[in-house]
Amino acid sequence: MANPETSRPAQAHTSYRLPFNVDLIAVGIGLALAVLIRLGIIHQISF
Amino acid sequence: MSTHTIPMPLAAEAQHRPTSLIATLPGIALLFTIGVLGKLMESAGTIVRTEYHMPFPQIEYVLWAILLGLLVSNTLGIATLFRPGVATYELWLKLGIVLVGARFLLQDVLHIGGLSLLLVAVELVLSLSVMTLLGRIFRLPPKLTSLLAIGSSICGVTAIMAAQGAINPDEEDTTTSIAAILTLGAIALLTFPAIGHLLRMSQQAYGMWAGLAVDNTAESIVTGSLFGQDAGRWAILAKTARSSFIGFVVLGYAVYWASRGQAAVVEHKVYFLWQKFPKFILGFLAISFLATAGFFTKQQLGSLSNLSQWAFLPAFAGVGLRTNLKDLVGQGWRPLVVGVLGEVFIAIITLGLVFWSYNHGVTR
Repeated sequence: MANPETSRPAQAHTSYRLPFNVDLIAVGIGLALAVLIRLGIIHQISF
Repeated sequence: MSTHTIPMPLAAEAQHRPTSLIATLPGIALLFTIGVLGKLMESAGTIVRTEYHMPFPQIEYVLWAILLGLLVSNTLGIATLFRPGVATYELWLKLGIVLVGARFLLQDVLHIGGLSLLLVAVELVLSLSVMTLLGRIFRLPPKLTSLLAIGSSICGVTAIMAAQGAINPDEEDTTTSIAAILTLGAIALLTFPAIGHLLRMSQQAYGMWAGLAVDNTAESIVTGSLFGQDAGRWAILAKTARSSFIGFVVLGYAVYWASRGQAAVVEHKVYFLWQKFPKFILGFLAISFLATAGFFTKQQLGSLSNLSQWAFLPAFAGVGLRTNLKDLVGQGWRPLVVGVLGEVFIAIITLGLVFWSYNHGVTR
């Protein structure tokens, strides 16, 4: 991979490993919020 | 890909860092601060224009959030303290996608999502073929070509990270392909809305196009949202359909490179597919199902939709924060040329597919 014409970015990448599965947490929070709204615990949200 | 791995192409070292929950708090605060500032800038602009009748650019909060993020990351830089939290932009993005399911009736998801799947299948075959051909013409390393093809055909950085564990490329190839995909995403952000307006596309048609043509999920949704809120919604649907193919494409490449003795053999293919499948799509479908079944009142649906907008706010800020313009231009010309040529081809093909499907009454 030492081909100069395919030179690399000056900085390589770092992956930050979060202590949870992002997909499952997103689904869990989403469904929990939906239930809370359905039960009226969370009232009208505006944006 | 392990779905909890969030790429941060801007940082200095190539390694996985375990992150504690507390360590993410400063960065999460930064994401929300920039996102809310973006929203305030939009409101301030409206007040200046309407109340004081002074000229002020009509810029949506989506663009403000990205611009403010870009400004911070390219001037001050992102301090180490904030980086773990900034990496959570993907969580907010996926939470927003799950919640926006409330805006879709299941029959729409099945109809438009089904059409998307068909268009995605065509897009997949063409983009994989063209990227592979261009990689050979420009003599890119074969695994770098594979990564660019995977990234441009499915869902950008996520797909590249998924492939990284499956085809064992050099770390440099991964970095280069991620930088190329992010550069192309930034170009799409700037060009697609203008093209959409020029062609007088409808919100739905434009959103479908953005979802089919822009690689990275975050950039795809932003590109759609810059055209309008409805366009952003349709971009999410098309993009979600596209992302669902990730396991099949990565598996195909894993089997190919294993057959050449350059990657580990995939023992349990069904498990591999499930492992790579983006699970947040199931949450999106679940909320859409509940909305269709009448589980929520109209007001509650509005609240869920607004919550999704709040979730997207830090995600949009994250797109700006993780884009370092210096890194993007320093990646070498050949991968970028291959990427640009391939992306222009994909953009034209998907635009043609969208126009065809709308002109033939395939969509409503």
